[in-house]
Parts: sequence; structure tokens; C-alpha cells
Amino acid sequence: MKRHWLLSSAASTCICAQLTQYVSCCLCCGTTFTLNSIDQSLFSCSSLFLTFVFQCAPRALPPMPSEDTGEEMPITKARRKKSKKEANEVEDSEEAGMELEGMTNRKDSDAREPMTPEPQEMAPQRRKKKKKTQTSDEDKTDLANGDGVDNHTDGEEVTRKPRKKKKSKITEMQYTNELEVEDDDIVTDMQAPLPQASLFSAPRGHSQPVGKVFVERSRRFHAADRFDLATSSGQVEDYMEVRPVWTTRDVAMKVHSGFRMIGLYSHGFLAGYAIWNIVVVYVLAGEQLSTLPNLLQQYHTLAYPSQSLLYLLLAISIISAFDRVNLAKASVALRGFLTLDPAALASFLYFAALILSLSQQMASDRINLYPTANETLWPPGSEHQILQPWIVVNLVVALLVGLAWIFVSTRHDIDFTEEFLMAMDVYAYPRQEEKPETTT
Amino acid sequence: MLQTNNYSLVLLIQLALLAYDLFVNSFSELLRAAPVVQLVLFIIQDIAILFNVIIILLMMFNTYVFQVGLVSLLLERFRALLLLSALYLTLSISFHCWIMNLRWLDSNRFVWTDGLQTLFVFQRLSAVLYYYFYKRTTEYLGDPRLYEDSAWLRDAFARARQ
Repeated sequence: MKRHWLLSSAASTCICAQLTQYVSCCLCCGTTFTLNSIDQSLFSCSSLFLTFVFQCAPRALPPMPSEDTGEEMPITKARRKKSKKEANEVEDSEEAGMELEGMTNRKDSDAREPMTPEPQEMAPQRRKKKKKTQTSDEDKTDLANGDGVDNHTDGEEVTRKPRKKKKSKITEMQYTNELEVEDDDIVTDMQAPLPQASLFSAPRGHSQPVGKVFVERSRRFHAADRFDLATSSGQVEDYMEVRPVWTTRDVAMKVHSGFRMIGLYSHGFLAGYAIWNIVVVYVLAGEQLSTLPNLLQQYHTLAYPSQSLLYLLLAISIISAFDRVNLAKASVALRGFLTLDPAALASFLYFAALILSLSQQMASDRINLYPTANETLWPPGSEHQILQPWIVVNLVVALLVGLAWIFVSTRHDIDFTEEFLMAMDVYAYPRQEEKPETTT
Repeated sequence: MLQTNNYSLVLLIQLALLAYDLFVNSFSELLRAAPVVQLVLFIIQDIAILFNVIIILLMMFNTYVFQVGLVSLLLERFRALLLLSALYLTLSISFHCWIMNLRWLDSNRFVWTDGLQTLFVFQRLSAVLYYYFYKRTTEYLGDPRLYEDSAWLRDAFARARQ
């Protein structure tokens, strides 16, 4: 009866379709009273209704119902207040009938809600909030999430139950029959906004950490656990690290390890050579250095080659020892010296031996030129005066080198430069700068 | 980004020049029969030191740290090498000039004085330190992180701008 205006109205069927959609959309959002307000306005003034339809219908058909329904609520509520003043019992019964249909719709929707698990979990929390405040703002937010039907009916169910008793069975059947077709539409339209609203509506409140992560694979998003994703990404990183077989860092490490091996041989060879050299010198010099001319005659050809070889081996050994103690980092080197680190002690001993050895370059050249020397270079009787310091220095050098070799051999695995290169401490400067700040 | 082959080749050249330098420093006194031979050896040695310095500077210029303008970081890191290289090159040229001047007419002459001996000791000592720092720097410059962007670099750049 109340819908006859739709069939006989001067408006075209387009308007009817718009109105039907508007009503169904409003029902989806829980605004069942809007139909009553429209009917009231129709009975009073059809022209006013037409203007209302043309104003409201375009807004009632949004692609995103969550946003537009929230904006519509103040308008519908204001019209509801006006309609309440003019309402009679028939309208109450109509309203009850519409609400009954809403209840049936809700039952249908409840039956289908398990298809979408997310709103099912959210519903109890929202109901609790609704009981606490019951403000119009909350209605808006609930409508934005598409749960308006449940909340609205829950809030007004208690007050409207007595009115259901007053309704007549005839009107109830009529209205239900008239709205049967729309019910189907309402149900079909009702399901669509729920997931859309929950997906596209703005997030409310604090987000909760979820164990799922959505990863795009083959142009589709798939849910994956965070833990699995972390492990798989870790595997990917490991794979990416292993994949480049030979990097510049590997080349540098290879060169360093190769030189370390050369240095290891050099340490031993230098110690053995220095001891052999001093033994030969003492053997040729005789007991109490009594046969120094014999030493000069026999050793003058070996003096410069041995000096050159000693410098070569000392240079390699010192570089190797400095590598072990990482001399370039003064803090590490100083700590090594203070803690009597074997590599640091060996570096010091080698460096002292090098200085002593180099200081004997003049004496070595003098020994080398002994056969062709004149009296100015080797005055008669000056052999003991020139050779004794040279022999003592060579002895000290041999002792230092042998001691350094022992120190290196005890902890041959120490190599701070290798650790430094492995770590590639690029971040050393900021950390050093930040240290005072963090400590204070 | 520094390529592995390029880095290996550059590293090989650098180590070869270092090995030649060490060889000349060790055995140049044994090859003094002809002054010309020693002169050629010394000239090549000085050029090798110069080449090594140029190569290490080019490697530093090739780093991303340098290209973004953080030269101070590189200078702070490699300051010891640069100073030692300059010192060693100066001492080497001085020593070579001095000893060749003394031995040019008679190579088997005893030419050592206290000053020459002192210069010889300092030149050889600086040579050892130069070898160590140069080898360490060449190995350090093989770090791939010096040739790419990183959070640390952005942080350092932001600090440098302030």
C-alpha cells in the first residue's frame, strides 16, 4: 500500500530503481527508519519527496558504502526526529514490520557471517563499546565498518519489543510480502559491503601485530608466516652471499693469507740463518777472537750477501709480525704491547734487530772490501777494534731473531689484521665518535 | 663497483712493484759492479714508488666514499700510508742521489760516512714501514663496502654537511 506511489508515480521506473536501491542500502546500514520518513513525506507532499529522492538517491549509491553511509546519518536522523513527532500507531506497526524484516535479514546475515571471519571477531568488542556510550558518533563509525545492522537493532531491540505486540497480523503479512523481493536484494547487497568496508575503511584504533605477512608472488598476494618469511629471506641472503664466488674481499684475504704463509717460513728461516751466521762467525773468529784475520779472509765474500739476505728476511718477518699485531691500529697495538702479547713482542724484537742490523752496514762494507783495502780502511791491528762490535751486534741480532721466532711460534694463529679485514671495520669512525656520548 | 679481475690485476701490479722495491733495497749493494746498473735499478725503484703512490691514490679516488665527497674519512684512514710514502720516496731519492754521486767514478770505493749511514738506516726503516702500510691498504681497499652506498655512509655524509 505504501509502495503504490512507486508504481503510480509520475516519476519513471528509473526513480523507482533508485529508491529501491536507496532503501536497500539504508537497510544494509541499519537505517530501517528512513523508509518511514520517506513515506511520511510522501503522504504529506509528493513534490517534497521527489526532491528528496533526487537529493538522496545519488548519495545512496556509492561505490564505497562505508564512507557515504557515515555522511548520510545526520540527515536521516534529523528526518527521523521530524517523523517521530508526526508518527501514529500505524506507522509504528509499519516500523515494527520493517524491523521484523530487518531481523530476518540479520538472521540471514548471521547465518552467512561465518563466510567472513573478520567481522565475527570484531562484533563482540563493538557491542561492548556500544553498550558503554551509545553516541551518534559511534553509530557513524560502526556504519563505516558495515556492522550497522547489528548495532542498531541491538540498541533498540529492548525498547521496540513491546510495540511488536501491538502490530496487526494483516499489516505484517502485507509488508513482509511487499518487501520480499527487496529482502533478496538487501541480502545480496548486504554481503558485499561487509568485506569491502572492513578492507577499505580507515583503520580505527591501534593495529595489532599479525603473524601473517602478505607477499606478492606471481602477481598475487599470498599469506605467509613472518617466521617462515624470515627464514626464507635469510636463506636467500645466504644464497646471495655464497653466489659471488670470488669477490675483491676474497682476493684480499687470499693475498693476506698467502703472505702470512710466506712470513711463517720467513720467521723460521731468519732465526735459523741468524743462528747459523753467528755460529760461523764465532767458529772462524776462533777462541777469544784470536783468529780475526782468518775470519776476514774467509768471511769477506759472505759479508754483503748475508747482510742483504738478513735485511730481506727481516723485512718480510717484520711485515708479518706487524700484520699479526695490526700495528696500524694504534690502540690494538698498544694494548698488545701492554699485555705482552707474543705477536707484539715479536714485532718489537724484530724491529730492534733490524735497526741493529742496518747499523752494521758500514762494517759489513768494510769487511766486503777487505781484500782490496788499503791501510786507511784497515789499519794494521785494527781488526779487533772493528770486528768485535760487529760480532756482538750480530750475536744480539741472532738472539733477538731467535727469541722473536719463539714468540711467534707459541701463538702462530694470532693475526689481528686478518680479523680486521674479515670484519672490514668501516664503521670504526662513527663508533669512536659515539663512544664518549654513550658512556656519558 | 670494483670488479674482481680489475682489483686482482691492480693488486698484482702493486705487489710486483713492492717486491721489486724490496729486492732492490736488499740486493742493490751486491749489484754495484757497474754504476750504470745500479743507477738504472735506483731509477726504476723510485719510479715504482711513485707508481705505487699514484695507483693507491687512484684506488682511493675510485671509492664511493671519495666520490660522495667524504675525503676526510679516507685521509684519516690512510694518512699514515700517504705520509710514509712521501717520506720514503724523499729518503730514497736522496739516498740514491748521494750514493750514486759517491760511487759513480769508482763503484768499489768505501764511501760510507756517518751521515750516509744514518740516511741509509732511515731509508731502510721507512721502506719496511712503507711495505707494511701499503700492503695493508691495498688489501683494505678491496672491501666492497667502500664502493657502494650504505647507511653508515649516509650518516657520515649527513654529519659532514652539518
